[in-house]
Amino acid sequence: MSIAFLSPATAGDTAVARSPMERTAKAAGARFENRDGWNVAVEYPGEDRVRETVGFTDVSHLRKLEIQGDEVPGELGEAKREGDAWICQLTPTRSLLLGGVHAVPPDAVDVTTCFAALTIFGPLAREVIARFCALDLRPQVAPPGSFRPGSIARQPGMILVQDTDRFLLLFGWAVGEYMWSVVDDAARSLDGGPVGSPPTENQ
Amino acid sequence: MSRLPNQPRELINRDNVIRFTFDGKPVEAYEGDTIGSALFAAGRRTFSRSFKYHRRRGLLCCAGQCPNCIVAVDGAPGTRACTEPVREGMKVEHLNAQPGLDLDVMRATDLVGTKFTPPGFYYKTFIRPRKLWPVYEKVLRHAAGLGVLRKEQPDREWRTEYRRRHADVLVIGGGAAGRRAAAAAAEQGDDVVLVDEGPFPIDAIPGVEILARASALGFFDGIVPVWQGDTLHQIRARRHVFATGAIEQPLVFAGNDLPGVMLSGGAVRLTQLYAVRPGTRAVVVATSDRGLVAAATLQDAGVAIAAVADVRESLSAAARRLSERGIEVTPGHTILEAKGGKAVDSAVLGPVGVSGASVEKTFDCDLVVVSGGFVPAMSLLLQTGAQTRYDPARGCFVVDKLPPGVTAVGDVAGVDEDGADGDSAAAAIPPPVSGAGRGKCFACLCEDVTAKDIKLSVEEGYDSIELSKRYTTVTMGPCQGRMCQLPAIRLMAKETGQLLEEVGTTTARPPWVSVPMGVLAGRPFEPAKRSSIHGRHRELGGNIKWAGDWRRAYDYGDPQGEALAVHEAAGLIDVSTLGKLLVRGADAGEFLNRLYPNRFSDLRPGRIRYGVISSDAGRIVDDGTICRIDDETFYVTTTSSGAGAVEEWFSWWLADWRLRVRLTDLTQGLSAVNLAGPRARQILSTLTDLDCSPEAFKYLDGKHAKVAGVECLILRIGFVGEVGYEIHFAAAHGEHVWDALMEAGRDHGVRPFGLEPQRILRLQKMHILVGQDTDSESTPFGAAMPWIVKLDKEEDFIGKWALEHYAIEEPATRLVGFTLGNGYVPTEGSVILDGLGVPAGQVTSARFSPVLDRVIGMAWVPSPLARDGSQITISDEGRTTEAQIQTKPFYDPEGEVLRS
Repeated sequence: MSIAFLSPATAGDTAVARSPMERTAKAAGARFENRDGWNVAVEYPGEDRVRETVGFTDVSHLRKLEIQGDEVPGELGEAKREGDAWICQLTPTRSLLLGGVHAVPPDAVDVTTCFAALTIFGPLAREVIARFCALDLRPQVAPPGSFRPGSIARQPGMILVQDTDRFLLLFGWAVGEYMWSVVDDAARSLDGGPVGSPPTENQ
Repeated sequence: MSRLPNQPRELINRDNVIRFTFDGKPVEAYEGDTIGSALFAAGRRTFSRSFKYHRRRGLLCCAGQCPNCIVAVDGAPGTRACTEPVREGMKVEHLNAQPGLDLDVMRATDLVGTKFTPPGFYYKTFIRPRKLWPVYEKVLRHAAGLGVLRKEQPDREWRTEYRRRHADVLVIGGGAAGRRAAAAAAEQGDDVVLVDEGPFPIDAIPGVEILARASALGFFDGIVPVWQGDTLHQIRARRHVFATGAIEQPLVFAGNDLPGVMLSGGAVRLTQLYAVRPGTRAVVVATSDRGLVAAATLQDAGVAIAAVADVRESLSAAARRLSERGIEVTPGHTILEAKGGKAVDSAVLGPVGVSGASVEKTFDCDLVVVSGGFVPAMSLLLQTGAQTRYDPARGCFVVDKLPPGVTAVGDVAGVDEDGADGDSAAAAIPPPVSGAGRGKCFACLCEDVTAKDIKLSVEEGYDSIELSKRYTTVTMGPCQGRMCQLPAIRLMAKETGQLLEEVGTTTARPPWVSVPMGVLAGRPFEPAKRSSIHGRHRELGGNIKWAGDWRRAYDYGDPQGEALAVHEAAGLIDVSTLGKLLVRGADAGEFLNRLYPNRFSDLRPGRIRYGVISSDAGRIVDDGTICRIDDETFYVTTTSSGAGAVEEWFSWWLADWRLRVRLTDLTQGLSAVNLAGPRARQILSTLTDLDCSPEAFKYLDGKHAKVAGVECLILRIGFVGEVGYEIHFAAAHGEHVWDALMEAGRDHGVRPFGLEPQRILRLQKMHILVGQDTDSESTPFGAAMPWIVKLDKEEDFIGKWALEHYAIEEPATRLVGFTLGNGYVPTEGSVILDGLGVPAGQVTSARFSPVLDRVIGMAWVPSPLARDGSQITISDEGRTTEAQIQTKPFYDPEGEVLRS
């Protein structure tokens, strides 16, 4: 017996992994590609239009590992960049490893499908997030690398400041459809919208 | 037309004409005009009718403070004409007058009905006959009010954005003091937001975000909601600077509400900002130099000054400067009465505190300018916890103590921003009322509360300002006490003989400005959890309902048929909502031993055991299954509704016990389906290499295997009474696994089934639903599960002490099954009656079982009756029916089917 059943990455070729926001993405006109076993929305009609305002991308396929133990590295409220992965500290003994393709650390639990994920980016990214989240993401308070667990649209979630004007939102897989509707609504009110996942997106 | 030639400070652009309508008639205005200034320039003097007496009301403050000019704009009521800029094509309509503003039949209330409409008249006059109150209420509500909501629902809806904003400093008020404070903070590197509710644009300040035409609504533990058009900003700042200024007070005298009676600030604003002459011949009455200055401004605008009275006994420097202009100021005098029909046509002045024809003098005029002094606009500030004191020198309440992080600057702090010419004399305190007995003297213009009403309320026993407020509704109107709080306090002091500091102020409450309910409601969030298979349920015609915070399929249109399919072939249900916890570590077994009444440290890897979680008091709080994956890893499931609470419960005890255990909540990360029925084994076998034979895969075995190519944990357990497999896997494969099972089961007759058929099936097996069949008093002993309590366990466990007591005490009631032969399905919650007809228990579940062809249920019954064959009486909303007790499951009582 093992806990391999937690991981979507171990599925066979016939079992395509799907984001909880796949149907809403499809309704928004997304074109999909199979990337490493995931059905990923890679393009939306008119998505270039939103790049100067605010765009959001479903990156639920991003690998997420939970690491627990006494030796978990990191600082409160900060995430560390390690290669192509982020290590986000949740508690003194618990952190999330986001992205990256290296081997799973011993004792890590694959929680990829526990958290759906959206990146929100563009000049109006903070304004969009401010429509549904009270976390303080001002640049002087939350520079790139900041990690903020808190309430997102009245659901438990986390925000990683990946770069200036680029935010990764993590939230429960089961609220994916709800969260899409919230973010989409806020983004559209600022002339933004969904954007396909670029090929270089970490997995 | 009363439009003046160019004024130095005017805000209007005479090159751009704006056209709009008022009550359907065209009005021309200039860009920069407000609705109020444009209508006044066009000759309109009556802007509204009062709330109760339907008296004419005209422009008073021109600052959005008073209720006199509230109109509807494009169908939306509640807009103040004096601060709302004109827009091309806007449709402005009056409120609260029928058939029109200039002829209002409800004016009869004022002319003949005054004696019948004292404070609380509706409770005095219309109390009998009591049954007619709903009719009276409807008529009164129709007659009162400040406008009519738009009729069509789409017109009543609009989008309000919520915007959360953090800042280092929030400055409320964009006057000189506020701007200085904002600039100073920005220069120090602070992130500053300045909020100003005025109608005028604010010059940019480097480093400051300015929210113009935005009103701070209140102060909620550091959060300040700010309404700006279609956005509600929720601003959290480390420091708050209040620069809310001061509010000019009216005087209370007979006829003080007539159109043509204006505050000095209102007359000056109309003249200087909009180049509109407020009258042709004016009487000015003031208590301070700031009020007297208006006389000079009006004279410059070509208004003849008929008389100027100063409540102060001696002439100030400002008065002497007026004298140099040929305007004589009469000290120690005030206004006793404003006379007129549609508007002011004369004013009566007299010495303060003395009356009589010999000392009074009447002046013809079409404008009465009054200034009863200025009081700090403290309402928002007081909501921070700031304290006030009465300042006898100024005759008003002032800020005394401020909480940490809160600063007051400018007028609100007692600094005279406008009158700082170095020689301003102190203001006088006006008499509470002048000219009483000559006509209505209004203390509160919003609610039509007169000085006489305050007197009456005191006489009737409402002798504190808070009681009087509730009885007369003074300070409860749209001005929120700006214009009436101090006059009401002064009148209260006069009538009760108290000092003003003894009367005190009313409690400052949000909102500070009138705000549409839609703004407060904002954009709704309705979080919904959906399983990864949810889309399929919708496509299959699932009857989707709320189940806790999840959206679930209750059935697919045929709950009875779905339940039968599980018995006859196979059924598939989505149980992804179950709580799922991974418990790992060297002490994982001990951890579970301490949490559950039964034992888990001896559970072999690959085996499953049922568990009930009890509270400290030995009461059932949740249940589920535990599968041991390896020596140090357990997979725990909980009820759907209890998932969050159990995770918290585990985490809490883990932090306390400091065991070597790591806990991970997998609830949303894993999908789970239950494939059950006589064909379930065959269906599963087509999708996995696993040996699913009864010998290889026994009841209560847990196995790890691929199903349709997906790694799964398969638990051979049953909640519905048939051979069943609960299959858990990563949520990203929800639809894939579901589709594969449905496809594989098609030839076997598999059907999806929802929550409702599941409830029938589990009831047949007498499996409890925690929260449905149990409550906060239920123990494992009463719930017929004494076998689950292992009092001989080595470890102490939660609830042990209480359960040891319950183990030796006969419970008053026990949970049992019952059957009904008459087809009647009692309501869940129906009462169980004892032999004397006294309520002694309740029905917790009841359904018609299609496979048993009878009604079955579960109920808490008195222990002596908890025996097979006993008769019980069920009382269901007056109907009584007999039922027969059964203590073993209705279906497959020995579990042979389940284990097969």
